[in-house]
Amino acid sequence: MTDAAESLTSMEFHPQPQPGAARPWAFPAPERGALDNGLTVLRCHRPGQQVVAVEIFLDAPLDAEPEGLDGVATIMARALSEGTIERGAEEFAAELERCGATLDAHADHPGVRVSLEVPVSRLRKALGLVAEALVSPAFDADEVKRLVANRLDEIPHEAANPGRRAAKQLYKELFPAATRISRPRQGTKETVEAIDAAAVRAFYDAHVRPASATAVVVGDLAGVDLDAILAETLGGWTGKPAAPRPMEPLTADDTGRVVIVDRPGAVQTQLLIGRIGPDRHDAVWAAQVLGVYCLGGTLTSRLDAVLREEKGYTYGVRAFGQVLRSDGEGHGASMLAISGSVDTPNTGPALEDLWQVLRTLAEGGLTDAERDVAVQNLVGVAPLKYETAASVAATLSDQVEQHLPDDYQGRLYARLAETGTVEATAAVVSAFPVDRLVTVLVGDASQIEEPVRALGIGDVTVVS
Amino acid sequence: MPMGHTATAGAGSGGLTATEHRLANGLRVVLSEDHLTPVAAVCLWYDVGSRHEAEGRTGLAHLFEHLMFQGSQQVHGNGHFELVQGAGGSLNGTTSFERTNYFETMPTHQLELALWLEADRMGSLLAALDDKSMENQREVVKNERRQRYDNVPYGTAFERLTALAYPEGHPYHHTPIGSMADLDAATLEDARNFFRTYYAPNNAVLSVVGDIDPERTLAWIEKYFGSIPGHDGKPAPRDGGLPDVIGGQLREVVVEDVPARALMAAYRLPEDGTRACDAADLALTVLGGGESSRLHNRLVRRDRTAVAAGFGLLRLAGAPSLGWLDVKTSGGVEVPDVETAVDEELARFAAEGPTAEEMERAQAQLEREWLDRLGTVAGRADELCRFAVLFGDPQLALTAVDRVLSVTAEEVREVAAARLRPDNRAVLVYEPVATEDSADGDDEEGADQ
Repeated sequence: MTDAAESLTSMEFHPQPQPGAARPWAFPAPERGALDNGLTVLRCHRPGQQVVAVEIFLDAPLDAEPEGLDGVATIMARALSEGTIERGAEEFAAELERCGATLDAHADHPGVRVSLEVPVSRLRKALGLVAEALVSPAFDADEVKRLVANRLDEIPHEAANPGRRAAKQLYKELFPAATRISRPRQGTKETVEAIDAAAVRAFYDAHVRPASATAVVVGDLAGVDLDAILAETLGGWTGKPAAPRPMEPLTADDTGRVVIVDRPGAVQTQLLIGRIGPDRHDAVWAAQVLGVYCLGGTLTSRLDAVLREEKGYTYGVRAFGQVLRSDGEGHGASMLAISGSVDTPNTGPALEDLWQVLRTLAEGGLTDAERDVAVQNLVGVAPLKYETAASVAATLSDQVEQHLPDDYQGRLYARLAETGTVEATAAVVSAFPVDRLVTVLVGDASQIEEPVRALGIGDVTVVS
Repeated sequence: MPMGHTATAGAGSGGLTATEHRLANGLRVVLSEDHLTPVAAVCLWYDVGSRHEAEGRTGLAHLFEHLMFQGSQQVHGNGHFELVQGAGGSLNGTTSFERTNYFETMPTHQLELALWLEADRMGSLLAALDDKSMENQREVVKNERRQRYDNVPYGTAFERLTALAYPEGHPYHHTPIGSMADLDAATLEDARNFFRTYYAPNNAVLSVVGDIDPERTLAWIEKYFGSIPGHDGKPAPRDGGLPDVIGGQLREVVVEDVPARALMAAYRLPEDGTRACDAADLALTVLGGGESSRLHNRLVRRDRTAVAAGFGLLRLAGAPSLGWLDVKTSGGVEVPDVETAVDEELARFAAEGPTAEEMERAQAQLEREWLDRLGTVAGRADELCRFAVLFGDPQLALTAVDRVLSVTAEEVREVAAARLRPDNRAVLVYEPVATEDSADGDDEEGADQ
């Protein structure tokens, strides 16, 4: 082989360089305050971030939706930007975009998140529009009808997407049928069809108010009189005081089993393998983050080392923990899952290898080297991850909706650095026990059912 | 700050500067200092993309990009990923028609490691490249193709429209992912030749942006990259030039298992780097960008014939750019209904041009996109490389937004009238296969996974 010799002789090699001294970095601490109307405000100055991010969390959880109206929170969130008492839907959208702003409103289990991004020089104008949407939404009957029809049109698109289809099935399998979380976040055809402007207005009246809302504002705020801007925008919002909102504990049936969602002719099988686990209030969270990263956080983690880099069965498989809902009282939970797609003929072998990776991990544990690299990545990557205002605002708002203290993320980094190999191993092994995993496979049942049955990883059922 | 036409003073550069350097072996270097956050971005653009691929070897540039992560003389197997991530960095690579880029964002004190890694593979990839990694990454890339294109509804639309819009034999006729048959046919020797031909320092631009000491950084670059020999073995890419307009409508109807009918189209537009391309960007934004655009207002809000309707711009420097129309129909609406409405809107726009308010909105949106792009060290590093490789001058990245803001309404109207015409587009229509009970596609989960 001449290539090695060729390149060896033509380039001067140097030993791997050693790192210099790290410049200290800390997750930004927000300043917490409140407006006279009860709205909680978290603000955070990030020099140089010319695009300001505003996240407003509304305490309007999906389980507050009336029986039979799943999706009303979603329609309400979307309707917020479809016209106000002052201006119609088209004018509202036009005015926002004239600010160079983007506005997104999204309903999830903990509540509704309204996210604004706008150049700082136009913050006053854009926040004024957002305040108008929150204070005096039109909820025009015809606009709501249009949003309902649009939502109904989206449903078949989601059903045709393997990842979305797998998620829908997993939630249905895990959670008791009577609970809101077992059903699609944005409603079903039947429930969405039942939504009208009166239902949207009623949900808004019952749950949207400043006293139970929190606004997070992040960006380069030097030279911005944020108090004045808030006073003349969100300060004009009024509403009843907030009542405490207890949540039902989340429970799930994680009896090991396999559900195949038949997708005839699929060239790949979408895998989603999951159960539920603790939320961020649990002391194990840091160790679990570390262990789950070692299992499936990146392409050098254990799952991809075998499934991708050794076998080539997949473009990538990831393991993750994602908080579903949390109240600080121990009633919350996170989704612990492994997801990815593998080619159809190798579905059986890929699952066999995946289970073997989990067994090997449980038997031998993580190595110190794996733990060290994981800590260095998870902690070291923080300044990159939080370079933009939007990423900082999103994490602060996550903390708010999960009832976590404002310094949670900063302390999590300290905890990660202190967490040892034994703790991380214990956490990831108890997060993914091989006999307590619900496996959803969206793929061609005629090709994958027999090989999957032969693995003995639980009862197999096929649905369409 | 008063409410002006621009969001920031000196909107484009926002006070940013960049310096340029060239090593003796031809490697171009761009440095830009910014000490706000203790991070530094390294970005390396190689002037090679799928347009350089030979017939029967589509997908080779992208497959090769994967092989760049499989080790080199001093870096074992997955060491590139392991070392960067273990240093608290993030990294990746991507392949497009016109270039292949590799990037690492590092905590400041680990910058030297990223430079050492990039130099090692630029100079010595062939010391490690073997059959095992070739066979493995071939399967990974085929699974990438399945996951992103073959196993999702409308997944092959981009490939189909590109093949329609650029004639057979044109360097942009095929997309970077390539065909399964060509991926199967690629050999280890093809990969080696590809490296020898295109991966030379004088065919690359390296940018380093962020919390850096420019002198020290340049010294590191000289140390690690300086001894890699350059060469002139790279053949010129095939000419991508085409007439301004297609001169007739091209059309393909696909009957597939998709959830709804769709009307997609690619319009031939001016090349990237021209004022007319910026004008086209504004035209597409007014017509189909965001929730206040003409097509959204017409099809989604008023006619209620579409679930979603919008335009995008694929900027290309070595061939005509493409204006990308995507409309998914609502319920039982037929494609001719939305097509007639689209044509009416385009014709009206070509005649009247944008209103002053529409221009202001479109410019504000594009300006914000630029602020986002230049707001991270990685985004800035990528843009500096882009302008250096494609247009020969990285400084143009820092003034790009000023150029967008200087376009006039009449220029926008002109480009729309000249290009957004039925005889200058390739059209792709999706019709769902008829099934007995698929009309009521069931509800769906909104899991953010």
